[in-house]
Amino acid sequence: MLYRAFLALLPRRFRARHGQEMERVYREGRAAADGAGRGAGVRFRLGALGDVAKTAAAEHARALGLGTRTGGGGMAGWLEDAGWALGSLRRSKGFAVMTMGILALGIGATTAIFSVVQGVLLRPLPYDRPDELAIIWGRLTTRNVERFPVSPPDFLDVREASPAFAEVGAVVTFQQSLVSADADAVQVPVAGTTANFLDLLGVRPILGRGFTEADAAPNDPTLQPGQPGFLNAAGLLSHSLWQQRFGGDPSVVGRIVEVGGGPMEIVGVLPEGLRLHLPRGSNSVSEPALWTAMQLDYGAAPRNNVFLQVVARLRPGASVSQAQADADRLAETLRGRFPSKASTGYEFAVRSLHDELVAPVRPVILALMGAVGLVLLIACANVSNLLLVRGSRREREVAVRAAVGGGRFRIFRQMALESLILALGGAAAGTALAWVGIQTLISLRPDHLPRIEEVGLDPGILAFAVAVALASSVVFGLVPALRNSRARLATALKDRGRTAESHSARRLRSVVVVAEVALSTVLLVGAGLMMRSFDQLRSVEPGYRPDGVLTFSVPVPFARYPDPAARARLLDDLQGRLSAVPGVERAAAVFPLPLGETAFNGRWGTADAEADPSLFRQADFAMVLPGYFEAAGTRIEEGRGFSSADQADSAAVVVIDRALADQAFPQGGAVGGRILARVVDPENASWFDVVGVVEAQRHTSLVDEGRGTIFFTDRLVGSFASAWVVRTSGGDPTAVAAAARRVVSEIDPDLPMADTRPFQAVVDDAMADTRFALVLLTAFGGLALVLAGFGLYGVLAYVVRQRRAEIGVRLAFGAAAAGIVALVLRQGMGLAVAGVAAGLLAGALLSGLLESLLVGVPAGDPLTFGAAAAAFLVVAALACLLPAVRASHVNPVEALRED
Amino acid sequence: MVPRSLDIDAHLPLTPVAFEILLALAGEDRHGYAILRAIAERTGGRIEPHAGSLYRALGRLTDEGLLAEVDGPDGEGADERRRYYRLTAFGRRVAGAEAARLEEQVGVARARALLGEA
Repeated sequence: MLYRAFLALLPRRFRARHGQEMERVYREGRAAADGAGRGAGVRFRLGALGDVAKTAAAEHARALGLGTRTGGGGMAGWLEDAGWALGSLRRSKGFAVMTMGILALGIGATTAIFSVVQGVLLRPLPYDRPDELAIIWGRLTTRNVERFPVSPPDFLDVREASPAFAEVGAVVTFQQSLVSADADAVQVPVAGTTANFLDLLGVRPILGRGFTEADAAPNDPTLQPGQPGFLNAAGLLSHSLWQQRFGGDPSVVGRIVEVGGGPMEIVGVLPEGLRLHLPRGSNSVSEPALWTAMQLDYGAAPRNNVFLQVVARLRPGASVSQAQADADRLAETLRGRFPSKASTGYEFAVRSLHDELVAPVRPVILALMGAVGLVLLIACANVSNLLLVRGSRREREVAVRAAVGGGRFRIFRQMALESLILALGGAAAGTALAWVGIQTLISLRPDHLPRIEEVGLDPGILAFAVAVALASSVVFGLVPALRNSRARLATALKDRGRTAESHSARRLRSVVVVAEVALSTVLLVGAGLMMRSFDQLRSVEPGYRPDGVLTFSVPVPFARYPDPAARARLLDDLQGRLSAVPGVERAAAVFPLPLGETAFNGRWGTADAEADPSLFRQADFAMVLPGYFEAAGTRIEEGRGFSSADQADSAAVVVIDRALADQAFPQGGAVGGRILARVVDPENASWFDVVGVVEAQRHTSLVDEGRGTIFFTDRLVGSFASAWVVRTSGGDPTAVAAAARRVVSEIDPDLPMADTRPFQAVVDDAMADTRFALVLLTAFGGLALVLAGFGLYGVLAYVVRQRRAEIGVRLAFGAAAAGIVALVLRQGMGLAVAGVAAGLLAGALLSGLLESLLVGVPAGDPLTFGAAAAAFLVVAALACLLPAVRASHVNPVEALRED
Repeated sequence: MVPRSLDIDAHLPLTPVAFEILLALAGEDRHGYAILRAIAERTGGRIEPHAGSLYRALGRLTDEGLLAEVDGPDGEGADERRRYYRLTAFGRRVAGAEAARLEEQVGVARARALLGEA
């Protein structure tokens, strides 16, 4: 228990008198704070630890009589001693810089990482009473699909399902073109919500009004915009769109704009900084520029068309498990009513919104917390070692001063001040490092950590790290200071401190070094595993070749092109003109873009599934224009790709990837075979002829092997492919971006074009998780390696100094210099080997925690463990060599005369 | 321990936490956590010391003779028995003197219209 360990910092008398009661009070306070919520518990723990450190410092000072001054009394004496301490540090600059540097690294790294933990994992969501918010997913248990959105009619049922729900709302985000009289058409992220959604979160417009149920009333489909009885959509502007597009003009409320080709009335403006915090699996954008109440007839929509993210507010005191039990009963009813729900094993999952949001990043953050905790420990161990060594080196100096009448209290005070100056210097530099560290973390992972952009330097955590560093340096600085201030002149001068340090103190230092080596070996193993994962990830064959390819999206506004044939003509026209741009080899559209943010999947099966629908499986779907495989660089392994003939008559043909072919046709013969897939008709699967097999696709994630992908012709599904994939002949695919933009606006100036970037950038983004863990664990591993090297060097240098006389005697009696080097090396490497062995063992036990972050590397990878051990032993050998060589250069005469 | 000083003024002014402790013990003997709760409740959570600061103050006040440690009430098991603190007569006088000192300050503040009339 950490608190009890901290109590050891207190002076023995104080601890004996109050320790037990303090622990009791701590436990009771902790129980109360835990009851008050997540953040309160953490704050209480940190506060209590800091408080013990503070109490310890104050009580040590009191026990040592710093309150009752003898000699050098008053402010002048303190200043004089502080000056002395500064001067003595200036004389040993190397020591001072190293100590402060190590403290700064420890404080900086710890504060940066724990600030992220606080910001991402622990801080409540920025909505009203965020603990009451829950998200409701659909699950297809027979197809291993977790976290599915919900269809509109299911949403209506969920809303009535449980008395635990105070309110249930839904949201879906998508991209739409925005056209208004005074500026170019742009594509903006839009959140379509139920009328109550923003109220449910507790968000109120700063201007105008919120949505009402009337805003969400479905339109009569026979009416055209502008006709009497037609209801304009209602829209709320995000603060940033209001500022950027409308210059913050309050009269924007009431204006009509065109969104997705239809009229929308702006009814209000939302507060600054509003974000939609939904889990990553929901494929939703976090900063919608525009919010609208969807004019949707929820009851009339098909049950199988799932797209809503359902969010509920629980009644005060109601629990998620209560709501889950009610949702389970609803799911059972639905399975009884609808065969498709029965065959998919349909269930609902009700989860706390906050838990779901942080679940995907929890492993990486916890791994980092562990790593940074180890770094802090190593840093403290190192500093204590440095201080202990320095303390014992100065025993003679102190003894002389004591002998010539320096008061014991003053000597002690000078040394204590020296430690304090070191600690404060380290803390100041550490604060700066922490700030830099947080900025670096934010720049490494702009999108993938939820709410990372809101993370800042957390003062409580900084205080904690500074307190730990202060405590470690003051305590370890004071132990030798205390001993020194009592040093007896005769012994100190005669034995040059050899006996002044007890055997147990020497062993303590060896133990500290072994522990340090072990801890850094653990970190090296972690860093090594991440490096191997990243390497594996880089060499993954995703099933397409992104280099030299430009991607961008041109969503076709349905309201402007309501007719599929018109959309098809538009896409054909675009494809033709884009292909004619100089430098373009091939252009084609796809939906969705591989590794993009949109999910498109559905069920497929073989003839068995016709008889038994539970045999349907889930696959990723993509619809493409002819030429897509050539543009994306996807290898066709059997059969052929799509031709314009397939497109022209909307033939029921598909191309499948190797992963799906292996499942559907284990005996081979995929081309010419048939599969069932549900793609056009929302209720029923239909038959498709397989005309080709392409290499296995990693369509939704680079990390996981794909579950199988089916490619359809865009025409068959309804002609709305929006992601363009343009293979260029030049080196830099962005060179054709301007020409592409011209082509798009020539065809229709109101067509928005967005997300223009090299395909490679999309693929790199998919590695962000692994890269984030890699960069940080490698940095910490390297840091730990260097720190442990210094630690080893410090101890050996000290040992060599202690044994100078003995070494001198050996040399005088004709021992070879090489023998002396070997002697010292043996001692140092003994410590290193013990540490590495302990570290490998601990690494084997702990590496399982990284499992979920590893790609294609087992947690017990022998190569990584071997490399970590080897790397460490090399560093250890270097750290030992310098003192060893120095020992062999000892001049026997001088060494002996010193005695 | 012999009180450092029986001169009441030598103890003034009290730190806010020390004064709150004396107030909490004015009515009854309490153990550490009960003192803490009483302070937190009275101040609405504005003053809520952690264990270390609390026992530093308790230790100092005891050493100075303002408090005495007493056994807890009977009925608790031997290992369950907690240390209780009692306000000494001297402690009571110091607390009274501090209250008078504060009252005088409040009077001045009121006279200079820093406080509204209740």
